[in-house]
Amino acid sequence: MIELIHLVKRFGDLVAVNAVDLVVPRGQFFALLGPNAAGKTTTVKILAGLMKPTSGAARIAGYDVQEQPLEARRRIAYVPDFPFLYDKLTPWEFIRFTGQLFQMSEERIASGARELVARFNLEPYLAKPIEALSHGTRQRIVIVSALLHAPDVVVLDEPMVGLDPHHARVLKDILKERALAGMTVFVSTHQLSVAEEMADRIGIMHEGRLIALGTRDELRRQSGTSGALEQTFLTLTRQEANLREEPPSSSAAPAAQSE
Amino acid sequence: MNRPMSTNRAPASRAASPSPLTLLVRVNMRQAWRRLLAIRQQSRLLTALIVLFLGGYAALAFAIFYRGLRFAGSFPGLGAVLIERMLFLLFAFLFGLLLLSNLIISYTNLFRNRETSFLLPLPIPWESIFRWKFIESALLASWAFLFLIAPMLAAYGLTQGVPWHFYAATLGFLGLFIMLPAVAGSWLAVNLARFLDRRAFQVAALLVASGLLAATAIWLKTDPITDEQLETRVLVVLDRLLSRTHFALFPLLPSYWLSAGVQQWAEGALGAALFFALVLLSHVLFFGTLALTRMGNAFYAAVSMVQSRGSAMNRWPWFRAWQQRLDRRARSTGWLERALAWARPIPVDVRAVLLKDMRLFWRDTTQWGQTLVLFGLLGVYFLNLRHFSQQLTSPFWIFLVSYLNLGACALNLATLTTRFVYPQFSLEGKRLWIVGMAPLGLRRLVLAKFALASTLSLALTAGLIILSCRMLMLAWDRTLYLTVAITVMTFTLNGLAVGLGALYPNFKEDNPSKIVSGFGGTFCLVVSFLYIVASVVLLALGSPWTRYGEPGGSGLMPSWAGFVLLSAGVGWLPLRLSLRRISQFEM
Repeated sequence: MIELIHLVKRFGDLVAVNAVDLVVPRGQFFALLGPNAAGKTTTVKILAGLMKPTSGAARIAGYDVQEQPLEARRRIAYVPDFPFLYDKLTPWEFIRFTGQLFQMSEERIASGARELVARFNLEPYLAKPIEALSHGTRQRIVIVSALLHAPDVVVLDEPMVGLDPHHARVLKDILKERALAGMTVFVSTHQLSVAEEMADRIGIMHEGRLIALGTRDELRRQSGTSGALEQTFLTLTRQEANLREEPPSSSAAPAAQSE
Repeated sequence: MNRPMSTNRAPASRAASPSPLTLLVRVNMRQAWRRLLAIRQQSRLLTALIVLFLGGYAALAFAIFYRGLRFAGSFPGLGAVLIERMLFLLFAFLFGLLLLSNLIISYTNLFRNRETSFLLPLPIPWESIFRWKFIESALLASWAFLFLIAPMLAAYGLTQGVPWHFYAATLGFLGLFIMLPAVAGSWLAVNLARFLDRRAFQVAALLVASGLLAATAIWLKTDPITDEQLETRVLVVLDRLLSRTHFALFPLLPSYWLSAGVQQWAEGALGAALFFALVLLSHVLFFGTLALTRMGNAFYAAVSMVQSRGSAMNRWPWFRAWQQRLDRRARSTGWLERALAWARPIPVDVRAVLLKDMRLFWRDTTQWGQTLVLFGLLGVYFLNLRHFSQQLTSPFWIFLVSYLNLGACALNLATLTTRFVYPQFSLEGKRLWIVGMAPLGLRRLVLAKFALASTLSLALTAGLIILSCRMLMLAWDRTLYLTVAITVMTFTLNGLAVGLGALYPNFKEDNPSKIVSGFGGTFCLVVSFLYIVASVVLLALGSPWTRYGEPGGSGLMPSWAGFVLLSAGVGWLPLRLSLRRISQFEM
């Protein structure tokens, strides 16, 4: 599970993440939405241990990302929006390397990779150099490597970018299956359709604050809209922007409630 | 809530797994090996060129060092002192260069590297990531140092008549020595990243460089030496010279331990040499252990700081006010744009490309920084020639030095054209959807780049050659001769870089240094160097003045005909071929 406890991140004068409290329980598919510069990527980077929070804490499966980094990182998989791959390796060598970094035995790597490789149709590419592969194929390799060690938590930043509709479907299915089996899924995305279709719970960030949190229906009720998530999202972010523009005496932004 | 969940990890398998550091070394070695193989598979010509160039450098450097050391050693009583001081000086300067090189490479490798970002969320201790990056940076920063000094050490050993084990021992000394600047460089990089942002670093670097320059100017200020002093008071002159280089003998400098160790071993004083080896070893063990076991947390704090920082200088009100002023002016026309607006004969779209290229050059610290260092050093050297004017009374030396300066200036330019002009087209290729689709057309784009690069570099090269002639007190006709020569060479070298850049584009890479390291870039550098050597020889042979500075040299016409033909073949031809290829270019 994931816990964000009063998380704050400042970049000089700018507050990128402003007192965010959030709990994503085990087995939940959580989608984080927000306009550009809302603080989504910063939150994800803090979760992945790429940067320290200014204050507050982030926990993965009970382990503080800063205080017990190795324990936390053994339980998390992170798929960035622009992943790094060793270009001169083959996909199989890369997958094996990642498995070894997680101290998996050769048998576990082989058995874990077999199903994922088959579902993502990577078999024909396993012996080719990664540098010769298309963006979508590379994205599939990264996802297979990330899911290989059966993490407790997977954090994905825009995971559908570059994937064709077929493999986007495969990824959605795998994430849903794994979530049902107990893996916590945390997706940061601009694709509202992914959140609408997949997420058990949705969070909306705006200017560093978590302005809304709940199921699709709860968000609809909060925004006073009905219909597609797009309408809910636009209404909530516009309301928040309007509140910010009003004089401080009249501003009373609803605080998002954590689980 | 805080209690760790039970997981499906298999602890039994952990014992059998190699350590993360071993895995990282292994995977990166495999990558490096495949890169090497790929070069060979891509082009045999490139492999042959690289091998030839490296072999040629080693042979030439060995020959020059061997002759130089023999010459210096031939002065009775003074030879040994001179060689010893040269050895100490060389290693002292190389220590400084290695420190700088390690600092730059460590910073890039630790904080601007995508592999680091990939490794940080994985279950690898920060110490292990730092250790791997430390090893990688030390190797990258030091291999060229070893390659550069190997011919010198071989020549030194040969002139001193050393036994075989000298070479093995020297290798050991060098292996220990390179660790110290590597440790210091990585420590400095981590602390700079932690406490200074980019702008604060630039200000600090400028202040340190100015301070160093001022200190050097005061400390190493040359005194004019008269011919009379040279003839009658050689020892006084030599003593003055040696006193200025005394800093290289400071016993706490690691370069001192290396130089003294190598020298003692060459002289057969193995006990003393061993003492210096142990001094080096103890420092390497102490600082190496500190770096490899205590830097992990500092490294992670610095990584987080680099990713988190707005600006460290934002805390000062004057800086915020200045930034706000800059923001307000962001949409107004800058002085560069206003200056270019005067050049009305140039079409607006070409002016836009020129303005964009000039802005990118100015905003890229690497580009103007390296240009400033290379031509600045050459300028300082030319300015210092005035102190030798009393010794340079012999017309032969003036003749020789004027052509050597021409070659040095052109070599500097070749380094810059290969490094910065060659990758221009490949980098532009990424933005083909903007410039390629515009009515400007690729042909005019390439020609605009050629014109801009040639004009800017000509201002530098012609200025330096005129300065050199002025310092050598050459007459105006000889100044004009050398200025025309450098003008032709400037256009040729730029034509070669622009032409080959368009003939061998690499649209996959974003990093210009990686574009340069391909076949086209290597070919460009080698051809530039060969062209410069051939041109300087042709121009010197066909000079209208004799070696003694008198008018009447023979062979002006054939040598200039050869020089012009060579320049056309090296500069104009690739440019023309590239323009033809661009006309058939498919986006």
